Amino acid sequence: MSAVIIKAEHVSKHYRLGKLGSGRLREDVVTWIKRKPVADEINNNSKQEIWALRDVSFNVEQGEVLGFIGNNGAGKSTLLKIISRITLPTLGCVYGKGRIASLLEIGTGFHIELTGRENIYLNGNILGMNKKEITSRLAEIIEFSGVERFIDTPVKRYSSGMYMRLAFAVAAHLDPEILIVDEVLAVGDAEFQRKCLGKMKEVSAQQGKTVLFVSHNMQALKNLCNRCIALDHGKIVDEGKPENVIANYLKGQQNNFTHQSYDAPEAAPGNNYIRIKKAELVADYLDGFDVIDIRTPLNIHVEFWYQDVEPGDLIVGIQLFNFAGDCIFDICSERKKFENGLIEMNCHVPGNFLNDGSYYVSVSFVKNTTQRIFYFDACLSFEVEDYRKDTAWFGKWIGYVRPSFPVIVKPKQ
Amino acid sequence: MGNNVEWDWKIDHKISLFNWNLKEIWQYKDLLMRFVRRDLIANYQQTILGPFWILLQPILTTITYYIIFGRIAKISTEGIPPLLFYLPGIITWSYFSDCLNSTMYTFLQNSTLFSKAYFPRLIVPLSNVVSHTVRMLVQLTLFIVIYVVYVLINHSAHISPAIILLPFVLVLTAAFALGTGLLISVITARYRDLDYALQFILRLFMFATPVIYPASIVPAQLKTLFWLNPLTPAIETFRTAFFSTNNLEIQPLLIATLLTIIILIAGMAFFKKLETKLMDII
Repeated sequence: MSAVIIKAEHVSKHYRLGKLGSGRLREDVVTWIKRKPVADEINNNSKQEIWALRDVSFNVEQGEVLGFIGNNGAGKSTLLKIISRITLPTLGCVYGKGRIASLLEIGTGFHIELTGRENIYLNGNILGMNKKEITSRLAEIIEFSGVERFIDTPVKRYSSGMYMRLAFAVAAHLDPEILIVDEVLAVGDAEFQRKCLGKMKEVSAQQGKTVLFVSHNMQALKNLCNRCIALDHGKIVDEGKPENVIANYLKGQQNNFTHQSYDAPEAAPGNNYIRIKKAELVADYLDGFDVIDIRTPLNIHVEFWYQDVEPGDLIVGIQLFNFAGDCIFDICSERKKFENGLIEMNCHVPGNFLNDGSYYVSVSFVKNTTQRIFYFDACLSFEVEDYRKDTAWFGKWIGYVRPSFPVIVKPKQ
Repeated sequence: MGNNVEWDWKIDHKISLFNWNLKEIWQYKDLLMRFVRRDLIANYQQTILGPFWILLQPILTTITYYIIFGRIAKISTEGIPPLLFYLPGIITWSYFSDCLNSTMYTFLQNSTLFSKAYFPRLIVPLSNVVSHTVRMLVQLTLFIVIYVVYVLINHSAHISPAIILLPFVLVLTAAFALGTGLLISVITARYRDLDYALQFILRLFMFATPVIYPASIVPAQLKTLFWLNPLTPAIETFRTAFFSTNNLEIQPLLIATLLTIIILIAGMAFFKKLETKLMDII
């Protein structure tokens, strides 16, 4: 067993929300003058208090890559901020060994008026490197960033892609014993993300660094982590092998959630372009069955209000994921011009196609082939039961899909 | 519970008032100098006159003061040529107010940075003081050049032994600004509406400081209070150093030093105590 490098004991974080302290001296003085009896005040405040973390304890071993998953507000980022010493725990403590570098944002402290080179130093210093360390890695950082030609140009003239590549290049060359990474992979294009993931894999696997990692990208978590911790409402609810924790987490997220509909656009999920009226999964059950099994044809039906200021060509895409986060398919409609109004989308998934398991559907809306205007993430979910005839084999049938392409065996003539 | 292991660090909610961890600040000296560099480059890179602004500012202020307070209000300059009389006051005052102004908004102006990266927060106000020191030294050089030219032409000014105290009074000015700024910074982080009041008080404070008039014209009944302002002995020592017009006032200087040390320690202690806690508010 390797040595424990971080030990968190009963870490709790308490936030007061709302009107406790208005941020204005005048109002605070007025409140204080008109203050209520003490008992009353405690009563009032208790409603506005939340425990962002509650009694969280765990160990991290040297060289381990530990992933954290959980919904927004589950406490993942708060936990990383406490370990990064940005905010204090209300109770409990964290012990550790070695230098920590926290990557909570790409390009922290970048100054747009300064050149790329100046910003490498600035960002590097902020992340905890000293001048000598940066100078010794400068050539490597510049090469990795791919912006050699513009390294002495102020970064305000950079494209957003160049800016991010440069920022990540600095972060990738940090040399701490412990690296903390929060959701930084959520930005950037696919190419950029692949580069980041590759580098992180290298850092953890080859250099033996300890990494604490928060991401919503289940694929990345599965690829990188040795272990995962799932948080919910500030508590650890699950811990163990990434595949299991992720599967449990996703399963708990939504179980057979096959219908959602909204009466008015104002209350519906969406944004200024798209509002969802309805999303449903309709199964064409086979005679005598009322569960979805591998033979059942499925229909995905979505209705939405399109309300773009400048309506353009629309493409609606459907992504089907299994609960391990693997994408089973990613298909889309043909490009077509629509006026504002109510639009419906239908997709038929034939029977004898999916393997048994749990699945969820995400729907994306793309304008003029490049601009993703809305992503309706995990809007439907369902389980596909197994069905077997004429077999005595009851183990798990492997494979992402289970089509019934004929496999013909006969005596050779 | 495994506490026999040697840990390098420990994070909990207890923060002591006087554990300033100066060693850590020293470890981050590269970051401090980087911030100074950033401020100096970014501030003057896109302006037409660039770094000349550092010099232009005190010159223009001096001219304005000369016209208003010297010519129109006819306030005495103790026989010192107006340009050379106003400059020490202006240089010292703007050094003080620049340091104070940048320090007291430390949390407000750096909230994004502070919420994304860890480093000793004191690095930010310290770097501000260093970059204003650079500006002040440039202005001081300007003053010395003008002074030398004046002496060559007029032969009438005498440098007094008080000149050896000049670096000290400038450090005193910075320390006073830093201490006050640190104390105020933990308040502005919480109460943003203090801004107007603070700027108003700062302006009044300038008139309580011998920037545009000599200390000698202050009425006797206000003298004690007047000399309690640490900037009064600072500016007066500066003038005495170059013109020997007045005797060096040692006692107020000692009181100012003591006051400044107390304010600085209090400022550091409160800043250190609250620097991380404030992150939940801003």
